[in-house]
Amino acid sequence: MSRIDITLTVNGEPRELKVEPRDQLADVLRGPLMLTGTHVGCEHGVCGACTIEIDGAPARSCIAHAGSCDGATIRTIEGFGDDEIMRALREAFTREHALQCGYCTPGMLVVGRDVVRRLPDADEARVREEMSGNLCRCTGYRGIVRAIVSVIVARRHARREGACR
Amino acid sequence: MNAGATGFGVGAALRRKEDARFLIGKGRYVGDITRPGMLEVAFLRSPVAHARLKRLTKPAGHEQQVFTIDDLPEIKTIRANSALPGFRVSEQPVLARGKIRHVGEAIAACIAGSRAEAEDLAGACELDYEMLPAVSDMTRAHLPGTPLLHEDWSMNAFLETHRNDDVSGLDAIAAAKVTRTLRTSRQCMAPLEGRGVLAEWDPRLEQIIVTTSTQMPHVTKSGLADCLGLDEGQVRIISPDVGGGFGYKGILLPEELVLAQLAIRLGRPVRWLEDRFEQLTAGANCREHHYVITAWADEAGRLLGVECDAIVDAGAYSSYPFGACLEAAQVGSILPGPYALPLLRCHTMSACTNKPPILPYRGVARTGVCYAMETTLDALARQLGISAEAIRLANLVRPEAMPYRNLVGKVFDSGDYPEALRRAVAAIDVPSIRARQAKGEAVGFGLATFCEQGAHGTSVYHAWGIPFVPGFEQAFVRLSPDGILEVRVGVHSHGQGMETSLAQVAHTILGVHPDKVRIVLGDTALTPYSTGTWGSRAAVMAGGAVAEACRQLGDRIASIGAGLLQVTRPDVVVADGFVRRIEGEGSVSIADVARTWYRAPQNLPKGVDKGGLEVTAGYRPDPDTGTHSYAAHAVVARVDLETGAVVLEDFVVVEDGGKLINPMIVDGQVLGGLAQGIGTALYEEMPYDGAGQPLAATLADYLLPGSADVPDVRLEHMETPSPWTTFGQKGIGESGAIGPPAAIVNAINDALASIGAEVTDLPATPERVLAAIAAARAGKA
Ligand code: FES
Ligand code: FES
Repeated sequence: MSRIDITLTVNGEPRELKVEPRDQLADVLRGPLMLTGTHVGCEHGVCGACTIEIDGAPARSCIAHAGSCDGATIRTIEGFGDDEIMRALREAFTREHALQCGYCTPGMLVVGRDVVRRLPDADEARVREEMSGNLCRCTGYRGIVRAIVSVIVARRHARREGACR
Repeated sequence: MNAGATGFGVGAALRRKEDARFLIGKGRYVGDITRPGMLEVAFLRSPVAHARLKRLTKPAGHEQQVFTIDDLPEIKTIRANSALPGFRVSEQPVLARGKIRHVGEAIAACIAGSRAEAEDLAGACELDYEMLPAVSDMTRAHLPGTPLLHEDWSMNAFLETHRNDDVSGLDAIAAAKVTRTLRTSRQCMAPLEGRGVLAEWDPRLEQIIVTTSTQMPHVTKSGLADCLGLDEGQVRIISPDVGGGFGYKGILLPEELVLAQLAIRLGRPVRWLEDRFEQLTAGANCREHHYVITAWADEAGRLLGVECDAIVDAGAYSSYPFGACLEAAQVGSILPGPYALPLLRCHTMSACTNKPPILPYRGVARTGVCYAMETTLDALARQLGISAEAIRLANLVRPEAMPYRNLVGKVFDSGDYPEALRRAVAAIDVPSIRARQAKGEAVGFGLATFCEQGAHGTSVYHAWGIPFVPGFEQAFVRLSPDGILEVRVGVHSHGQGMETSLAQVAHTILGVHPDKVRIVLGDTALTPYSTGTWGSRAAVMAGGAVAEACRQLGDRIASIGAGLLQVTRPDVVVADGFVRRIEGEGSVSIADVARTWYRAPQNLPKGVDKGGLEVTAGYRPDPDTGTHSYAAHAVVARVDLETGAVVLEDFVVVEDGGKLINPMIVDGQVLGGLAQGIGTALYEEMPYDGAGQPLAATLADYLLPGSADVPDVRLEHMETPSPWTTFGQKGIGESGAIGPPAAIVNAINDALASIGAEVTDLPATPERVLAAIAAARAGKA
């Protein structure tokens, strides 16, 4: 099978890769790039465990052909070290016991961060809806939902205070 | 004991230590681990349920990369026997030999540099087989004339059990009698991480090292050594981070044996990672029950007796170690539930069918049995015209009767079962539901009460005679030269947070800060033998063992500390990380004691225990018949009469798990189990057609509950200590998954009561709800 040359920016670093036509982005990240924080739970686009950011938007890396991602900017769970929302979410996840086995957690955090950014006024019901594409078999979701809602609420308060000043 | 005194010990809702690595994507699961020169394995699996295997033609030029059972004659068949009288034991070849007994059964292992190439090889194999009629209906499997799965058996059943109390006089004296036929569907436990195995041969140690996603590394080690003809010293099992278990990973896998033998044969590391298609089609292996149940009650609702005929679909083989009849054979002993039942007549059958071998899923038989008993109780209450609460209060074992031995010999340790029920009911505005019903709204209120036996040990399991019997649980503790406390246990943590809760236990005994306690688990080379994590046993058994080991270590620390303080052992206590004089000033830190033992032994007092600062200690509660946690679930459900859809408006759980080591973690266990129970109640089902084909091959067909399907559950605790355990803790890991189907269907049936419709089969999908409504309307017309 002929290999395809692609260039990606992964967590801020340019990477040149040769991939098989049938390689999915998840395979490339977890294999040659050794970024195993991106988990695969179903490999058919349902569970959300493999969610990463492609060009700033959440995407399922198990059904994104690597060969078609040439030039894309990728961010995985390993690439959010300096991100303020992610820091708040991580703190909230551990406080609210939003993880048990940890397998769904990277995908939850990536999508949760997107929800926090996109929907500054979301309430619990909306967060439940928005997170419904990410399966967790361990927690029953209450901690996950509470964690995300708590970050949204804290940011709302911070915004208000900022506006009052 | 200074439990919880410092906010870090037993009773504290301490944040989890393990979260740090998971939150940054640094958990390490089997699929994250690679080895130089590693090869990947894909299994060729059976496309049919029942067939005679005639020939497998390997792809030309790749014969050396495809292994059948004939290529691996060293591996013995898996045999999971039972001492229960009449048990028929199956011989499970690790790769199909001569016959295929279920869709997804592994036939050949294909090896290549990448998984995709290995799958190509599997796809290029040619299979020649002769189809046999499939046995897919458990209620007919045993009938004469049905083709036999195991041809030397007399019928397709692993086991039948009987309990024959005489219920013949009850018709004459009962005020109410109901009979129901109920069914639960086959499920897939579906942990988010599938199974995975990486096997490598270490020529220096002459040891096969198997890194595998398992709940029970030591049991797997024994089973693997047995089947491969190795001595146990030649086997090391490593269970790294595991992405959920729930029983799915409480098994010795055929794949583990194949991979181990391949690694030995090839001298190269080999890895297999189960994908979701494999899991759904070859691993739907639990919860399929069928009941015909009759119950009699007097006019106050007091149960006079129960008669039950139960069949559990146990699939094609008896899995190691739990065997094929753990579910069916327990139906009779679980049916009385938390109630004082005077008479029970019960027949059970573990049917052998062309489906994947059964494994005990969280709650084991209890989810189905609780469903049968609780829906039957509600039917009785409706017939008697009394409330669901009243009929339960009339039968629940009363607190003053504890400890209580019920008619099948189970001993309930402690608790106030009626109080849990009263609190659950009080948390819901029942009058407003009745008012809505009066206005014609299809809304209902449902209850379920149950108890969960956990951490039961030798006295219970020896009678089963399965490949292992849990005995004393052990823990190893070591105070290292820098004052770090290392704790090694043979159980495994795959979401239960034991790296935190066991550190809390150690802290409670020794006062060492949990940050300075390192819990080591998941490696047979590093940890004492244990039967592993299953049966809600870890908090009681490993918790007790860690406490005992810390206590003994504390005694040695105290002796050395007393010497350093120039007083005697009785003059000091160990508290908050120090050895302190009871009277007067003076203390020495545990870290200083450690430094003295390792680095300044010249200062040790005379007569010091030569065992030093390392202790292995064992623990078993006395009696070890198990703790009984219990709960009441109360549900408000709304039914859409047009579409059959069910919405859970409210869900209340009142739960008693005894003393909670970490209440936050316990809540997590209950809530996680609850979501799984909601899946059982409303969504999850692996249908099989008449040819034994599984019909849900993706997560778009097999529906797991998502965040929008699970309500914001309200959870209340009672904390009645168990009199038999170290801190009064009880096993509670499965409880959440037991009650929801019963409580939810009772709420649905309450909502449909005015129509006279009743749902009987799980899950209560829109189709089933509509069918129940249609049947009731047709019956009335
Ligand atoms: S692994 Fe990509 S969605 Fe499940
Ligand atoms: S924490 Fe295990 S799947 Fe979510």
